[in-house]
Amino acid sequence: MVQMGFYIDVAKCIGCKTCTIACKDKNDLEVGRNFRRVYDFEEGSFPKPSIYHLSISCNHCKDPKCVKNCPTTAIHKRAEDGVVVIDHDKCVGCKYCEWNCPYGAPQFSEELGKMTKCDTCLDLREKGEDPVCVSSCIMRAIEFGPIDELRAKYGTINEVKGMPSASITQPNIVIHM
Amino acid sequence: MHEWALLIFSICVQTAIGGMFMLWLYQRNISKSGDETTFTILKTPLIIIAVLSLIGLGASFWHLGAPSNAFNTIRNIGSSWMSREIVVTGLFIAAACITAGLAILQKKINPILLLVTAIIGFVDIYCMASIYSNSLISGWNSINTFTSFYGTALVLGAVLIASFTVPALRAKNMDDNAKTLLKLSFFTALFGIAIQLLGVALFPAAMTDVNIMAATAATSSLEPYQGTIAIRWVIEVIGIVLLGYMALSPVKKTTITVAFVALIVIGFAEGLSRYVFYVLGS
Repeated sequence: MVQMGFYIDVAKCIGCKTCTIACKDKNDLEVGRNFRRVYDFEEGSFPKPSIYHLSISCNHCKDPKCVKNCPTTAIHKRAEDGVVVIDHDKCVGCKYCEWNCPYGAPQFSEELGKMTKCDTCLDLREKGEDPVCVSSCIMRAIEFGPIDELRAKYGTINEVKGMPSASITQPNIVIHM
Repeated sequence: MHEWALLIFSICVQTAIGGMFMLWLYQRNISKSGDETTFTILKTPLIIIAVLSLIGLGASFWHLGAPSNAFNTIRNIGSSWMSREIVVTGLFIAAACITAGLAILQKKINPILLLVTAIIGFVDIYCMASIYSNSLISGWNSINTFTSFYGTALVLGAVLIASFTVPALRAKNMDDNAKTLLKLSFFTALFGIAIQLLGVALFPAAMTDVNIMAATAATSSLEPYQGTIAIRWVIEVIGIVLLGYMALSPVKKTTITVAFVALIVIGFAEGLSRYVFYVLGS
């Protein structure tokens, strides 16, 4: 299995939230439901203020707590690429995955009565395209690919200040600050 | 707070569990008066327990976004506490309804069924608490979750059975039994409060955990609810004092009204406590 994952370049990100909007547009997400979100962190004060932005969706973790705790087995890791997806034939909409994800990835759809989340734009990837957050980023701060390749290229940092401990679920994400 | 379904479910089922245990204790005292008398006295609370468990079942379905897929929830017993809890809750509700149904058919209370159902119930409360303690919500991964749930079962179970048996005991002029059983309920409720306090004492350790992006620690989520928490304890104490007065006062006749006031007051207090618990997760 080739485990896929995201690379986020925080040093490039300007916090414009185009990735969030592109994702909302592609997945037709109503107000309040976001598969990808950008968190803004402000700290310090004059003369040394700092601000950084962190774009986060599902990290398709190595040890996903959502999968472990889902009562229905609806939420599962795909054998072929380690992407975590939800089987709507099984999901009961209990929202327990929401209480078990450190990254806020599972999002409840009122219309479906079921959980929904980032699936790495499987339909676009089948056509050989990138996930829409990657292709829409005006700063080219997001990359998607086999996590081993991303780690070889950019290192192994998978948690930065403001994120929960990576030890909880071992996320497949590489971050550059 | 938008977890009303879970609040109703957990309070109803836990009260039913504690009530079932109290019924078993009660029947040990009353059974000396014969099967028929025992049945007459304990029939109403037993039916109420079965109804409470069914209300809980209904509320749990109301929590689901896609109830038609409910049967899928037992697919992950191997690793999900939620699956385990759903199975054990189902067993408890079935056992409670069978116990009540058989009692009505046979006009006789089966003590072994009461005890077995209560034991299934106590295992169920462990599973319920594990759902929350295994999640990442700040404040839930604490011994307080377990003590709060077991405490609710004991306190509400004790006062529920007391208020629904006192009238029947009074009607049969069994005032001595009433006094003994009220004492039993009072001390059980006190024990329930004691274990809740133990959990509250150890709770702060879990209140600063934050394991979810941009989530707030329990310390901050609970700040606006200081008043609610205070009111909860004040009325809980009032309820326990009422129960204690009935149990320990030298007056031989126990007033039915006081018993029901105690039930309502303690029920409301436990509801407030559970409301504050769910604030953490919303």
